[in-house]
Amino acid sequence: MSSAAFTWEGRCFQIDARCLEGAPVPGAWVHVCARPDEGARIQYDQPEVQQVRRDALAWWIPMLGDELVCLSTLALDEVYCGGAITVARSPRLFDQDPFARLFPGTVIRSDVFSVVAPPAGPVLERYAGVPWPGGRFG
Amino acid sequence: MTTPQRGERFPDLDLPDHTGRARTLSELAAGDPVVLAFSRGWWCPKEQRYLRELTRLQDEFEVAYTRIVVVSVDEPAVQSAFRAGLGARFTFLSDAERRWLGRLELGETTDTTHHPYLPTTFTLHPDLRIHAVYHGYWYWGRATMQELRLNMRTISRAVRDDFEGP
Repeated sequence: MSSAAFTWEGRCFQIDARCLEGAPVPGAWVHVCARPDEGARIQYDQPEVQQVRRDALAWWIPMLGDELVCLSTLALDEVYCGGAITVARSPRLFDQDPFARLFPGTVIRSDVFSVVAPPAGPVLERYAGVPWPGGRFG
Repeated sequence: MTTPQRGERFPDLDLPDHTGRARTLSELAAGDPVVLAFSRGWWCPKEQRYLRELTRLQDEFEVAYTRIVVVSVDEPAVQSAFRAGLGARFTFLSDAERRWLGRLELGETTDTTHHPYLPTTFTLHPDLRIHAVYHGYWYWGRATMQELRLNMRTISRAVRDDFEGP
């Protein structure tokens, strides 16, 4: 098989960098709420993207409890959101993921994500365009 | 240790949050101004009233890079239920073991059943320096939502270099 047969397809997203900075959790379950087509994007300022972040703070993170490893929205640029990932030690609650209201979820397993303390709330806004809930001032 | 006063740095509390996860106050502040409210607990009608007001105010905090943290002696599971009932999206810290209550000298001595916190609200700079203190044993001593807005404005103006626009 020639190397020309390998063509890379996919989309690049930015996530909260802290999700990749700590000790990886082996075999974590990842709920990827995104679609492969380039048109699958929503502005962060749209009400539905605001509301899923409220839901994450209000009940999704408490519901996951100790199962939560980390979560992040998937940023395309300073304006657009391409979805979100929730990383957990079990997939049993993924059918209730509020981010799946933006884009349908796909469950995969991964060894690269690390534990990040969940956002404290109630801040929904992003810090200098960094994917929510990452970043901070000062 | 005595009750922290205006201008002093508030101790970096280390307590479990409403999910039982270990947290510190500086971690929750995350570089933003903070309203830190010590509350008696879920059972008190005055606390229920006041926390409903804070929950309404969170709609402004969520877009204003400012934080709300509530501390009470309720267990995390109780706080989690109370928080859900309020519709709050900010963090509760549980001092059910009263580790900080005595050190901060914020115990309410007139309630010998619950041994709760004396209702007290602090507004803090991101580095936990105290901007203002409100004593809420009497309900009218508590910070109004407008006072909290004005405190957040003053602190934000002091710590955001681009407060008047980049």
